[in-house]
Amino acid sequence: MINLLDPFKIAFGSLLSNKLRSLLTTLGVIIGVAAVITLVSMGEGAKSYILGQIGSWGMGANSLVIQPGTGDATIPELTLTYDDAVVLRQKIRHLQYLMPEFVGRGRCIYGKKSYIPSYTMGASADYPLAYKQKAVEGRFFSEADDASRRRVVVIGKTIVNKLFGSYSPIGEKITINGIGFTVIGVLEEKGTLLTNDMDDIALIPGSLSETVLGTNKIWEIFITVEKDDQVAQAIDDIEKILTARHHRVDFHTHTQQGMIDIINNILNAMTGIVSAIAAISLLVGGIGIMNIMLVAVTERTREIGIRKSIGAKQRDIFLQFVFESVLITMSGALIGIIIGTLAAWLIMHFLKMEAVIAWGAAYSACLVAFLVGTFFGVYPAVRASRLDPVEALRYEA
Amino acid sequence: MTRDGSKLSGSSATGAQVVVRIRDVKRIYHLGKVEVRALQGINLIVEKGEFLSIMGPSGCGKSTLMHIIGCLDRPSSGHISIDEVDVDELDDNRLADIRNRKVGFVFQTFNLLPKLNAIENVELPLIYAGAGFEERRKKASELLNVVGLNDRMYHRPSELSGGQSQRVAIARALANDPSLILADEPTGNLDSKSGEEIIHLFEELNNRGITLIIVTHDKDIAGHSKRIVRLKDGLVLSDEKIK
Ligand SMILES: Nc1ncnc2c1ncn2[C@@H]1O[C@H](COP(=O)(O)OP(=O)(O)O)[C@@H](O)[C@H]1O
Ligand SMILES: [Mg+2]
Repeated sequence: MINLLDPFKIAFGSLLSNKLRSLLTTLGVIIGVAAVITLVSMGEGAKSYILGQIGSWGMGANSLVIQPGTGDATIPELTLTYDDAVVLRQKIRHLQYLMPEFVGRGRCIYGKKSYIPSYTMGASADYPLAYKQKAVEGRFFSEADDASRRRVVVIGKTIVNKLFGSYSPIGEKITINGIGFTVIGVLEEKGTLLTNDMDDIALIPGSLSETVLGTNKIWEIFITVEKDDQVAQAIDDIEKILTARHHRVDFHTHTQQGMIDIINNILNAMTGIVSAIAAISLLVGGIGIMNIMLVAVTERTREIGIRKSIGAKQRDIFLQFVFESVLITMSGALIGIIIGTLAAWLIMHFLKMEAVIAWGAAYSACLVAFLVGTFFGVYPAVRASRLDPVEALRYEA
Repeated sequence: MTRDGSKLSGSSATGAQVVVRIRDVKRIYHLGKVEVRALQGINLIVEKGEFLSIMGPSGCGKSTLMHIIGCLDRPSSGHISIDEVDVDELDDNRLADIRNRKVGFVFQTFNLLPKLNAIENVELPLIYAGAGFEERRKKASELLNVVGLNDRMYHRPSELSGGQSQRVAIARALANDPSLILADEPTGNLDSKSGEEIIHLFEELNNRGITLIIVTHDKDIAGHSKRIVRLKDGLVLSDEKIK
């Protein structure tokens, strides 16, 4: 009885003595595994990035978003108004923060400098708390400012840089779409979300939206309640209030869980596609390995004859060839994991996101490679093990 | 054992331990519808410590007989025992065990594994016997010493001369202390000087008590052995003790 380490070593030896061919044989497996690992790592990285961003933007489990339209139309009619927001603030039970977004276009002029920020937004005084972004210089506008339609503006760093350079903008007068404003605060820096510069933003009291931006229509209302389990009740309230006001359901709500579900659905669909690609490439890779193993058995007929003539049993020869096939596939999987991880890291590095090492996918890749190597190695190994010793010794390559 | 092979073989019963007992062994190859009767009824007894040469014209069945004695092949009919074990009744696995432990085969073309060095080639039968690494190395280097190759242990077959390769093959055949060494034309691929050296090595091994059967065309080589069996058309033509 021969121990298992020896056929393993024998297999490893013949693998090393044929490095290039072993590598080419397993190329299918390498590519398949690398592709899967890259995509899964990137997906995981993107997911954790997006969830992290959502978290940092205040999207806790106690939050929800009301958006106009029924949620299925691509370009919804903007049905939510400033007045809706006022009524909702009065009537939603356990309301914590309510932040309507009136998004428009505002040309900001300071002295001779003119600039149009990506976002000029009507907001509520809840903005700093709701979106976890406070004013780092000066102050945010108050509820009283909003109610009295004071012409004050809080701006992001990008606008500060464009209009004021290194000077403090606090107390300076600018015009937005020709209307005079006083800068009272500068927002904490947020950086970019995906490709959007989140610091390229000017916030004015929502009550001034119609006057300044020419619209009192709301893109979305962000709401938080005191406790996570009050979200359902709040949705109830919102549906009653808005349906009563609009006489139809022309709005819909998202919860944070809903967003996570959507992201997960996208990622799962992606994982599904990736798995299908992987399965096909591993199948092709496996057939390639079987093919090369059959060639190897023929080429090494004499070696098999010699081994048998000095006492190798069928089982020994079988194990030698199965191990070789498993080793080739597993090495391919390992190389694929390394290449895939590096590729994901590189791509994510350029996207300024962090790659997540896809451990789960790596484990599955190893397991699948093991199974593929075994499955496709068995037939050639059986052929090898059943060779007649005398015939095999007579074989001339 | 109830069978008395000695009467059938015609060799004198000395009471010594019998290593090979062959009784009416036939081997027929089927080439399509054509039957090739390679062995037509061989009877032979080889006792412990014998040094036997098998001679005969090409195609008379010498290799076929060696393969059967070496348990690489099975007779179509008849009986064969090695160390009084009826090997014709064993399954493939047990037969592999006999090849591994009871017989050592030396081939005309050496049949070393080209990718392994000398010591690794000698270790192979020990691997299949389940020996550990340390034990294997020790035994293999001892054997390479015996065949006079202690300075060539880490050379690959491609770096060895024919005579040296055949010495490695002999060391390999000796690895598991077999009861019997079989050599099918061991000097057939060697120049006469190397051939001489190999036959002297065989003589030396025989003097140490190892039982040897060699196939050769060469009368000088056969002259070093103690007994010559001549085959013709798959039958024993003559069987004479010369020493
Ligand atoms: N595998 C085989 N298939 C068919 N015929 C064979 C086979 N092996 C040997 N023979 C035939 O059996 C006879 C004996 O062969 P062999 O034992 O090799 O002779 P020797 O070694 O004495 O030259 C020859 O006629 C040979 O052609
Ligand atoms: Mg022959």
